[in-house]
Amino acid sequence: MGRRIAIVEDEAAIRANYADAFTRQGYEVAAYADRPSALAAFARRLPELAIIDIGLGDEPEGGFTLCAELRAMSARLPIIFLTARDSDFDVVSGLRLGADDYLTKDISLPHLLARVAALFRRLEVLAGAAPQEEQLVRGPLALDIQRLAAHWRDQPVALTLTEFWMVHTLARHPGHVKSREQLMTEARLVVDDGTITSHIKRIRKKFAAVDAAFDGIESVYGAGYRWKA
Amino acid sequence: MTSLRISLRTKLALISLLLLALPWVGYRYVDEMERFLRDGQRDALVATARAVATALHERPQLFGPRPGGTAVSLADSMLPNEEVLDLAISSMPALPAEAAPFGLPAVTAPTRGGADEVAAILRALERTTSRIWVVGRDLDVIARAGTLVPPDEADTAPDGGLLRLWRRLTGRAGAAPADIAALLADATPPSAQAVSSAFFGATASWVRPVGDGEVVVVAAAHPVWVADRVHGAVVVEESTRAILSVRDRALARLMLLTFTGFAITAVLLLGFASRLSWRIRRLRDEAENAVDARGRIADLSAGSRAGDEVGDLSRSFSRLLARLAQHHGYLETMASRLSHELRTPVAVVRSSLENLQLEPLPDSATPYIERANAGLTRLTRILSRMSEATRMEQALASTETERFDLRAVVGECVQGYRLAHPGTCFEAQLPDYPVWVRGAPDLAAQMLDKLVDNAVDFAAADTPIRIALVFHDTTAELSVSNDGPPLPAALEGKLFDSMVSGRQRDGGDEPHLGLGLYVARLIAGFHGGSLRAANLPDGRGVCVCAALRLA
Repeated sequence: MGRRIAIVEDEAAIRANYADAFTRQGYEVAAYADRPSALAAFARRLPELAIIDIGLGDEPEGGFTLCAELRAMSARLPIIFLTARDSDFDVVSGLRLGADDYLTKDISLPHLLARVAALFRRLEVLAGAAPQEEQLVRGPLALDIQRLAAHWRDQPVALTLTEFWMVHTLARHPGHVKSREQLMTEARLVVDDGTITSHIKRIRKKFAAVDAAFDGIESVYGAGYRWKA
Repeated sequence: MTSLRISLRTKLALISLLLLALPWVGYRYVDEMERFLRDGQRDALVATARAVATALHERPQLFGPRPGGTAVSLADSMLPNEEVLDLAISSMPALPAEAAPFGLPAVTAPTRGGADEVAAILRALERTTSRIWVVGRDLDVIARAGTLVPPDEADTAPDGGLLRLWRRLTGRAGAAPADIAALLADATPPSAQAVSSAFFGATASWVRPVGDGEVVVVAAAHPVWVADRVHGAVVVEESTRAILSVRDRALARLMLLTFTGFAITAVLLLGFASRLSWRIRRLRDEAENAVDARGRIADLSAGSRAGDEVGDLSRSFSRLLARLAQHHGYLETMASRLSHELRTPVAVVRSSLENLQLEPLPDSATPYIERANAGLTRLTRILSRMSEATRMEQALASTETERFDLRAVVGECVQGYRLAHPGTCFEAQLPDYPVWVRGAPDLAAQMLDKLVDNAVDFAAADTPIRIALVFHDTTAELSVSNDGPPLPAALEGKLFDSMVSGRQRDGGDEPHLGLGLYVARLIAGFHGGSLRAANLPDGRGVCVCAALRLA
């Protein structure tokens, strides 16, 4: 019996395509076109992962509302925003509401599937179902590849999936300059340079919240970023 | 064509000259008035003459020969100027009146008291401003009363300054009032010619000039009948001085009033015209400055609440500009909206293609799937480029500024470019000391990226790209120049606008939407600077220069 995924998306073609792709992967998919129907179904039974569009039918911010309601029902349920809106403001709003990841519809199906799988893996690890393994330790930084969790000086840093992969890419080879294109590929994103810059900025802020003296990520102007060895 | 430029103010001033017609109209009116008064005066004189004559009718004793006079006088003739044979010449004794020839009615013995009686009658009729003569048929003055110059008026009423000015203006200097008074006081008996029609039995009136003609004497004559014979005439004379002085005073007052009115109206009109043209000029200036060099559209404030046509104009300008701004904003955000709107259908295509790939497909289908995917990737890249500028604007709004060393950033960037573009030579010319500016080093690097990308794309093969950072008073000038084709003239001043590209050739895999330099301009603006592009002096290539404010 596969895991249950809920897709809330008002565009019928995309909904059907994603549903098909996930079904093919062995997931059990429930697709909803608008917020009320999704909420009614969630009230009966929560899915194990929810993929939500922000604009739902005639509710331009319906996805945000739904995310907040869903988060109120369950604190652990992984929620992914999958939307056409890519402004910084929307990304920040979505992540603040408790979403685990924010993806734009540029993402390819394999990438989306990989992210969903990663989130489920994290869920399993958190549930203690899988043994702890594959740690990446760089000085004070510890990355748990299985849990997709980052620690700085033994304190957890709440990174989204995208941010985690960026940090992972940088930290794997400290001192090596990673260009924006490389970061993009690693994080399985298709975005412009500006978005990478704002992602890096957010990552720095999150580390700085834990340790004000954090300067692990160095900008190499004209080339990219590197993890300070 | 340089047409004569007449300002609104001048035009209104010229039109206000029409007001000068008012004094002329007033003058005409006063003239009419004068004529009317003279006619009235003449009628009054005729009436006076008739009245006096009525008192003298049928009193032949008043016209008797005077003592010591000739027995035969002109008064005896039937008609004026009729030759009368003077019998006295033949030294005959004076004939009694009864013996008058032609059976004339008997005339009572002439008494000395006749003239006195007439004078007494006249005294009763005496008026201050008219002179009454009673003349006999032979033009002898029987009695006279009154004077043309009232005694108290001879030297009164000194003219006001305005009156003198008016006289000077009209050239009617005329004789001094005293002279005229003297002339009038000169009592010239009425001439025979003037009185003759009265002797024929008709009432007559005439005008006699005095002096140079400004002041005239109006006179009227009425016959005095005794039975059916004219025995004499009453002549009443009056000068027009009173009317003239009334007229002059009226003219002076008229002149004073019209000039005062004219001055007030002219000042008001000028003020009004000045204010109007000031408002229109202000509106014009504001409308001209409403759209600045960067295409930003500001609001108008001039007279936007005024209720008149200028206010209307300002309001419709405002509406027009608002619509223009709306359209402008729409165009500026169109790229990002378009990319946003296209993202959903692209997602449909992508997810469908990817699902298709997971289905068992014949091998022959693979190349098509691959091509579709390649096209889709390119489309996605274009879409993300299109929203780049908007995203940069959003990022700029939330970026905090810091003071940083631009020289270090440029130095590092150049190192990076040498790695990133191994086939191109980069020449850097940096100052020996740090260049502090305020902004964000990330963004400054991104701006330099854009400029260098642009230079690399346009550089001729095997030519270096020169990056120079120099000081200019309060600005640091960062310039990137390359050898290659010069800037197209058509792009003059538009190079840094959104969606403007000078690229002719096909962009290949990398889409060129003309947003790179636009983003660079946004960043330069964020650093309190500006971008400009110019051809190199020797025409070898192009130099793009960013002037950033020093911190």
